[in-house]
Amino acid sequence: MVERCYVAASLDEALKIRKETGAHVLAGGTDLMVQFRQGTGISPVFPFPVVIISSVRELDDITAGDDGTVTIGALAVPARIAESQLVPYPVRAAAARMGAPALRNSATIGGNIGNASPKGDLPQPLIMLDARVVLTSLDGEREMLLDDFILGSKKTALRDDEIISAVRIPPVSWSYVFYRKIGTRRANAISKLSLSALMRFEDGRIADFRAASGASGPKVIRSREAENMLKGLDDAEARAELPAFLDAWNEALSPHAMPQYRRNTTRRMLEHFITSALEHPQSEIIV
Amino acid sequence: MTRIDDRIQRVDAVEKASGEARYLCDLSFDDMLYARFVRSAVARGKIVSIDVPPLPEGYYFFTADDIPPEGKNSLVMIAGDWRCFASGDVRYVGETIGILCGRSRAVLKAIEESIKITYEEQEAAITIDDALAVKGGPILEKDDIHCSLVSEKGGDVDEILSRADRVIEETVETGFQEHVHLETNAALCTIEDGKYTFYISCQCPFYVRKSVAGLLGLRPEDIRVRQTTTGGAFGGKEHFPDVLAGPLLVAEYHLKKPVKLVFDREEDMLYSVKRHPSKVVFRTGLDSDGKILASDINVYYNCGAYLSSSYVVLQRGVFHANGVYNFPATRIHGYGMATNTFPSDAFRGFGAPQTLFAIETHLNHIARELGADPVEYKKQYFLKQGDETVTQGHIVEKVVLNEMLDQVASKSDYWRKAAEYTPGCGKGIGMSFYNHGGAFTGNGEQAIIKAHLRLVKDGDSFTILCGQTEMGQGFRTILRKIVASVLETDMDKVAYDNPDTDCVPDSGPTAASRSTMIVGRLAEQAAMQMKDHLNEEHWEVETEYEHPEGHPWDQSTFKGDAYLGYGWGCCCVEVEADRLTNEIRVTGIWSSHDIGKAIDELIVHGQVNGGIIQSLGYAAMEKMENRNGHFRQSSMSDYVIPTSMDFPRQEWGLVDNPYEWGPFGAKGMGELVFNGADAAYTDAVERAMGIKINRIPVPVEDLEGLR
Repeated sequence: MVERCYVAASLDEALKIRKETGAHVLAGGTDLMVQFRQGTGISPVFPFPVVIISSVRELDDITAGDDGTVTIGALAVPARIAESQLVPYPVRAAAARMGAPALRNSATIGGNIGNASPKGDLPQPLIMLDARVVLTSLDGEREMLLDDFILGSKKTALRDDEIISAVRIPPVSWSYVFYRKIGTRRANAISKLSLSALMRFEDGRIADFRAASGASGPKVIRSREAENMLKGLDDAEARAELPAFLDAWNEALSPHAMPQYRRNTTRRMLEHFITSALEHPQSEIIV
Repeated sequence: MTRIDDRIQRVDAVEKASGEARYLCDLSFDDMLYARFVRSAVARGKIVSIDVPPLPEGYYFFTADDIPPEGKNSLVMIAGDWRCFASGDVRYVGETIGILCGRSRAVLKAIEESIKITYEEQEAAITIDDALAVKGGPILEKDDIHCSLVSEKGGDVDEILSRADRVIEETVETGFQEHVHLETNAALCTIEDGKYTFYISCQCPFYVRKSVAGLLGLRPEDIRVRQTTTGGAFGGKEHFPDVLAGPLLVAEYHLKKPVKLVFDREEDMLYSVKRHPSKVVFRTGLDSDGKILASDINVYYNCGAYLSSSYVVLQRGVFHANGVYNFPATRIHGYGMATNTFPSDAFRGFGAPQTLFAIETHLNHIARELGADPVEYKKQYFLKQGDETVTQGHIVEKVVLNEMLDQVASKSDYWRKAAEYTPGCGKGIGMSFYNHGGAFTGNGEQAIIKAHLRLVKDGDSFTILCGQTEMGQGFRTILRKIVASVLETDMDKVAYDNPDTDCVPDSGPTAASRSTMIVGRLAEQAAMQMKDHLNEEHWEVETEYEHPEGHPWDQSTFKGDAYLGYGWGCCCVEVEADRLTNEIRVTGIWSSHDIGKAIDELIVHGQVNGGIIQSLGYAAMEKMENRNGHFRQSSMSDYVIPTSMDFPRQEWGLVDNPYEWGPFGAKGMGELVFNGADAAYTDAVERAMGIKINRIPVPVEDLEGLR
């Protein structure tokens, strides 16, 4: 019942098929096969042609560049991302809690981004880290901020001839970092809410502060205006500014369901992270 | 030689773990057709028209109009009001309107999607409150009450409450629960040796034939039902297989070919029975010392569109509504409400868990209001041997709740922790007490079932013939073990296969925690009689249920001993609440159960673990919402049941309290172990977070509103 189905052996071949047929890309299949399932004993029905790129080996590397940029191939699976020492902590933490082992060994980072679900696990920490997405077509490559690439729930800026080929995480450092996912249960769970945050001190002042909220709106939410409120402040100033910051972050959220829970919990987590960080504890990971 | 105290590896363990077991979906016959249901898309309305496109050759569509004139459009469960096919009107979303049959499941789906059904929609009643307000007009003749009953003991409750020092009023509610048996519902109908024959995943093969025979004007014995290996049921396959079997039989009447129907997970979630949602309203009068004088309890169960078996579920709810406690006076009104939701039906506990959760919660709240420890407060009311029950019968057996409490309190260090964990400190511990009446309510075993079991000897091999089913609970192992132990032989000399109604006597349903207690006893008795004939080459013995003396019961007034005996339980749960996220981490689970005697400790251990986890899921996370008659959760990713990560560790214990009329002293236990962990969990969460919980489930977002 599949309209047309292609299996590409290389990225180049996949790009040609995509350009010629407009085929949608199927990598791990953990979203598409579920979304278009027809029930027991019936093949999935896709309303579009599909190109399967699972066996394109050139897209699953995780590498670090000389400047510290980490590049994760689009076909890298969460199980590998979670184990890679090259990958920054919040992304590894998110990868480690995606679904169950079977999913973590078949889903891909490219798919998790391309699916653009507000509940997706990986976009949230990646957006906090200013990750860029590499989009490849027969005409070449372009890069854009992941935050710009994901336009809304299930919407991206992917062109009809492009394939997500990699994600690039620019060098990052922090004094303190935070990652939490509240799932529907403790394992094999879809996210009800998630939050990443980091803070870097330099000479007693906050040099960098970032956060990202998952499952709190149509896409991952970052508020650079709110983040900027804390930058440049010393501990005492930051404590004084905290309520205003929390209000500003809350303003940026737009949860369509469980608003009270999502807003209050986000507020408590951010307050906890910031006040903990302002006490300069030993451990850089705040839990 | 098998001894009753050996710990046995389950006889079906290897075939199931290795994937060799064949389930209904694995069966295939020459010329077999598949079936697909066409269902109502609205909760309440008149069917204006059903437009079916021209069907491809070899494809068929049957509706109520295809029931032969000698048949009746009724599925006989306990009541007969559930229609095989909706006709003229629809009463809930998912009601079967027709059945499509043909060779390709993909084509069947395409046909289903092209069938246009036009409805004249009416306002639906979905909740208990909707039904009480008769929203949209009466569903039944004059109101929305399917059934009701009252039980009382002690003095005039109204009079006592009017002179009480104070009256505490409280409402406790529970939600839908889905069974999530690993194997979805599935059935196949064919004709073998000129006889309508079902292969079916079910708990009660004799129920199936009784339920559907009337559709063709046949007698139950004109239909043969063969249970296939059943991958879990939890009550979800007690009556519900009839809903698959009925339309299949009508199709078979016309087609005379094997027709197979297998629900996929989404269908099984959206269009199957659930546990009855409940609302229990208490008015409890206290004297000036905080002692309970009387409790007036109103119990409402959401039964859905059809009565089916709900009256019996409600009765069990009412008879368990005062928990394991003896108050001077109690009056319980029970109401089974008709709504336009999918009919509610059997689910492990069969009506008892809802009211047991309610009474535990209510007493915990009263205790806390009085500044007393809930366990200290509750234990003064423990039922004892000889005490009068709420049905004006008596507790016949020795009750060892205090011993169980001591066992659990000492393992969990309850008293120290309860004193140490101040309300809202982030840590909490809670304890619940519960029971479960074994076997059918009242004199049902005698008046309705009259179970039979046959034991056959051929050479040195024995065969047990009865209608009980293995559905994952371990009964195949249990029954063979009982017989082998009595006969002092090896279990592998004792055969007991999936029942076939043409080959086995009717030993009653596999339900109501009656299999070990009642049918296990019949097997024990048969084996004891067999012992005198071991030197004969072939010998057969059939045993029949005999009601134990001294259990008076009047079914017209619901007075007397509602149950032959009870299993008793005590469960303690300790939690840590995350103050940022409301996530609850269960750090300890301890339980003690009085099940008379464990026929097999390994199987009992499995039942205890599973029952407690299922109950914790019910309380903590299993949320099934219904909007306008449509269930909102349709998969295992949005209807979440616990994993071992959620409730990782349990310590369990049993007390030795042999039951006079059970095999080797055993009582029922499969449902008991579901009946109380929920209340222990919410008690612990309440203490950890300093909140009050009056409704389950309580996922993190619902806890937020209580902070």
